Amino acid sequence: MLQVEELSKSYGKFLAVDRLSFSVEDGAIFGFVGPNGAGKTTTMKILGTLLRPSSGKAWIAGEDVSQNPRRIRQLVGYMPDFFGVYDDLKVDEYLDFYSASYRIPARQREKIISDLLELMDLEHKREAYVDSLSRGMKQRLCLARCLVHDPALLILDEPASGLDPRARVEVREILKELKNMGKTIIISSHILSELTELCTHLGIIEAGKMVACGSVDEIVHRSQSAQSIEIRVLGQMDEALFIINNNLGLSAIKLDEQMLELPFNGNEEEMNRILTHLVQAGIPLVSFAQSQSNLENIFMQLTKGVVQ
Amino acid sequence: MKSLVLNPILAKEFRSRMRNWKSPLMISLYLGLLGLITLAYYWMQQKRGFYSGFGPDVGPQIFIILSVFQLLLLSFVTPALTAGVINGERERQTFDLLLCTRLSSASIVLNKLLASISYILLLVIASLPVFAIVYFFGGVLLSDMGRVILVSMATAITFGVIGIFCSTLFKRTQVSMVVSYVVVLLFLVGTMAVTVFLQGIQTGPYPRVTAMYFSYANPLVALFSIFPNQAAGVGIMSSFLGGYRTYGYNAAVSQALSPWQYNFIFDGVLIIVLLLLTVFLLDPVGRFKRLRKNPAVVETEAESAPAEG
Ligand SMILES: Nc1ncnc2c1ncn2[C@@H]1O[C@H](COP(=O)(O)OP(=O)(O)OP(=O)(O)O)[C@@H](O)[C@H]1O
Ligand SMILES: [Mg+2]
Repeated sequence: MLQVEELSKSYGKFLAVDRLSFSVEDGAIFGFVGPNGAGKTTTMKILGTLLRPSSGKAWIAGEDVSQNPRRIRQLVGYMPDFFGVYDDLKVDEYLDFYSASYRIPARQREKIISDLLELMDLEHKREAYVDSLSRGMKQRLCLARCLVHDPALLILDEPASGLDPRARVEVREILKELKNMGKTIIISSHILSELTELCTHLGIIEAGKMVACGSVDEIVHRSQSAQSIEIRVLGQMDEALFIINNNLGLSAIKLDEQMLELPFNGNEEEMNRILTHLVQAGIPLVSFAQSQSNLENIFMQLTKGVVQ
Repeated sequence: MKSLVLNPILAKEFRSRMRNWKSPLMISLYLGLLGLITLAYYWMQQKRGFYSGFGPDVGPQIFIILSVFQLLLLSFVTPALTAGVINGERERQTFDLLLCTRLSSASIVLNKLLASISYILLLVIASLPVFAIVYFFGGVLLSDMGRVILVSMATAITFGVIGIFCSTLFKRTQVSMVVSYVVVLLFLVGTMAVTVFLQGIQTGPYPRVTAMYFSYANPLVALFSIFPNQAAGVGIMSSFLGGYRTYGYNAAVSQALSPWQYNFIFDGVLIIVLLLLTVFLLDPVGRFKRLRKNPAVVETEAESAPAEG
């Protein structure tokens, strides 16, 4: 469905996307993850024909993105990371406006809009002004908007940002439904856990570069060794950090006032050595446990905080 | 072509414009002002007429006052209508969404313009009854009225396009509003100043001719070239009309076209140039930018040149 090859975009001298290559299969949900400023939005805008790449190419369903923007626009439903709403239109008028902009004949629009409102659970708001909707509803309305022309590929830029947990789950359910309808979806987020359940594939991007890319299983497997030790103390946090990072040459990070996290791949002997060191130094330990690798850890490991 | 002009933006603009209370208010205000001027002038004349009789001049006089006032009102209203259309979409963050659809940036611009023009047309049509009253005073040709409306509309469209151009050029609405009004002011006052200046420094056998063309860019000058010569007030403008229709003055200057026709052509050229520039500025990945940045792309495109729908 989508192929990206050596895609780059620079703003002046600043390289926002750096020779990015990846591909997305038909029917996949591709999670595009990276810290703030990694270049997710920039990449998605290029795919949505809103930006020209500085170099490199991308194909959607075999069409070159920068050569035939018109055909691409018909294939792609792009949802930016903001709502764009007209405050003087009602919900159905809003959808009607965009359907008409995609040149859908008036006869079909009525049905499409009803279907979409049903899918998004917004039927009761049909007559409401767009401005009066809650954030979650607006988000769903925007999702409906990028579906009016029945695109094969959905490009969703942080569709769940700013939503409460319930609304997040709702959006997730809708996306699953869309996947069942055969759509290919690219979805960006800077929260990896948000995507683990939903996505089939993941691409982790940092500072414009892809640091890991593949199916969710693959990525989890590849980083299986990426485990960590969680250390909880009653006090003397700074001493504990000093011992681990300076005396033992490891790199622990402070999670909060009482909690340390230590990325760790070693065996049990080494674990024991660390523990002994801490105890001998008189650190008031509460717990010292190996944590199961989760995607959040992988993410923290893969992206080292180069940007910002 | 049909798809370029008839598109949902127009319908949406009408809907939102007519939905809020501003539009009826604006139309009422506009008509109220025009009517008030007619009445005020009529009363003034009647008072005087008590002693000297109702002159045959009254019809043309009111006509001139009305036309000039209408032109000034339109010059004032148009930038307000258009100088925020594109950066308004940007500020509402709906602009990218529009570009994502199948609407080309040319059709977005054209329809935004069309929506504003229809609104102005509405104002002009609403003012017709006032002009009809003037017509019944006599002394005014119907063809002159037609020309006045033509020049007014051309001026409004020109200023409208200037507004849209500014709203594309500048990120912020306030800036584009201010710049648009400054440009409009330059047209109304600046052109005259330039003419006066050029007339001051020029010497030679036909000193006034080139200077004149500057003043023809001024819609007011164009308007005055339409009015019957003997009407009071035209004399003030005669130095800008360049001998056109002015008795025994500068007879050597023979002009093929009258000033309002020059103005019309000037407006037309300006409108086309600015529209092209606007579309060029708007298109994120459009043809023009492809031409400029990647010559290789153009070649392959020429081969598979798709028929434009
Ligand atoms: N128009 C622009 N001009 C200059 N620099 C830009 C522009 N747009 C984005 N950038 C820069 O490009 C980099 C990538 O931005 P981008 O918006 O793609 O990041 P992102 O991954 O979407 O981040 P976030 O998670 O915060 O949305 C950032 O460092 C940003 O400052
Ligand atoms: Mg972003």
